[in-house]
Amino acid sequence: MSGGALRAAVAVELRKSVRARVPLVAAALLVLGVVAISASAIAAVNAGPPEVLAKLGPVVGGGGWAGYVDAALQVTGAAGAGACGILISWSFGREFSEGTIAGLFALPVSRTAVAAAKLVALFVWTACVTASLIAVLLTAGLLVGLGPPTATDVGVVVGRIPVLLLATAAMTVPAAWVSTITRGLMGGIATTVVLLASAQVIVFSGGGAWFPPSAPALWALAPSPSTLVTLLWSLLFPAAAIILTVVSWHRLQLDR
Amino acid sequence: MVQGMALSGVSRTFAGGVGVHGVDLDIDAGQVHALVGLNGAGKSTLMKVLLGMLRPTSGSARIAGVPVRSAGAGVWSRVGHLVEGPLVYGEFTVRGNLEMSAALHGVPRPRRAELVDRGVVEFGLQPYTHRRARSLSFGNKQRLALAAALHHDPDFVVLDEPTTGLDPAGTILLRERVRRCAGEGAAILISSHHLDEVSRVADRITVINEGRLIGRLEPRGAELEQAFFALVLADDERRRAGEEAAS
Repeated sequence: MSGGALRAAVAVELRKSVRARVPLVAAALLVLGVVAISASAIAAVNAGPPEVLAKLGPVVGGGGWAGYVDAALQVTGAAGAGACGILISWSFGREFSEGTIAGLFALPVSRTAVAAAKLVALFVWTACVTASLIAVLLTAGLLVGLGPPTATDVGVVVGRIPVLLLATAAMTVPAAWVSTITRGLMGGIATTVVLLASAQVIVFSGGGAWFPPSAPALWALAPSPSTLVTLLWSLLFPAAAIILTVVSWHRLQLDR
Repeated sequence: MVQGMALSGVSRTFAGGVGVHGVDLDIDAGQVHALVGLNGAGKSTLMKVLLGMLRPTSGSARIAGVPVRSAGAGVWSRVGHLVEGPLVYGEFTVRGNLEMSAALHGVPRPRRAELVDRGVVEFGLQPYTHRRARSLSFGNKQRLALAAALHHDPDFVVLDEPTTGLDPAGTILLRERVRRCAGEGAAILISSHHLDEVSRVADRITVINEGRLIGRLEPRGAELEQAFFALVLADDERRRAGEEAAS
């Protein structure tokens, strides 16, 4: 795979991300959804029914910027996995469901380069969404009357959300591989649902430290040397999925 | 002498035994070679093998003398094809699709605008240049797909049923473009159900039936349809007799 071919493929994939509806809708829903839910949680705290405060937990229930940011971190983990999973399933699966995959054969830009470019585009999209989310989250915090955030609050937002979202995006790469081997979007979306649901169930049941899709959120909510090590180890999971996806595209045949 | 495309002893079978069997086919430079056959005869399978979309069970495919399985960017940048689905994305405009296709075909950036302009004109897409592809009619989408396959002046062209969806004007534009490609030395493999159209554009016509090449037709010959069905019928009867003898 030459550098020129990869550059050409990345340019095409980024252009698709800008022109198509799915990436824009997914970005808008992720940013606005996280902010709306976080702001609603703080509004509920301010309204003050004790049963609501108990359900929101000690940090969110404490209100203020700390509660608002903690709510945002919790929601971002799940919403980010959903949005990134749908996006990556669409990116890979649409080539099969829309019949464009045949046109990606017999080109000087190899299918390996195209698959790699789709992954690059996912992470560029995630980086852009991250920047937007941080800006909207901080602005909305001011608008809902939380007052100026402390340096610690800003540090949590700016330091943890990028790692959380980028690592969460990486955890959804298996959806790309499943979309490829099932020749369509639905296999990837089903994989995303399974990853998301299993991560939630395992965390709520007290496990999760060993389960890669849970690792980004567990680190973001409680950064420590042990959650950091778990997060780093968990990156082997998307690394394996990236290799499987690229190899599948390299060996692809239009035999079904 | 510029080398064309070739299939040597190519077999590719699918579940149930269908597929193509022991096919030898040469597509010479400067010639339009038409492949005609009934639905399911194996035309698309052969084209897919030639383009690396399917790996043959046995035999080999070559483009410019290079085995397809080891062909690199240098070979593929000289290929243009439209097989199965078009490389057209609904979110791009007509112009955007042609620019995308030029980039993926390895056209250097300074040449892209000129080739895109020419592709638009060659297939009569001027009124739709800034329209998104998703809003085009089926026929205009087919014109766009053909422009995207041919605008980089390929030396090796593979087109599977390219007249599908085209109106008579589009069919003439395609015929002129294909003949011009051949005149410039390209090796062209084209499949079609329309024997009249094939007779106008092809230099050679090969008939395929049940996955095997069974004969040739004279492109300018009279009663092309009759000759085609006579070949297919004779092959069917020969195979039936062979099967009965074997059982």
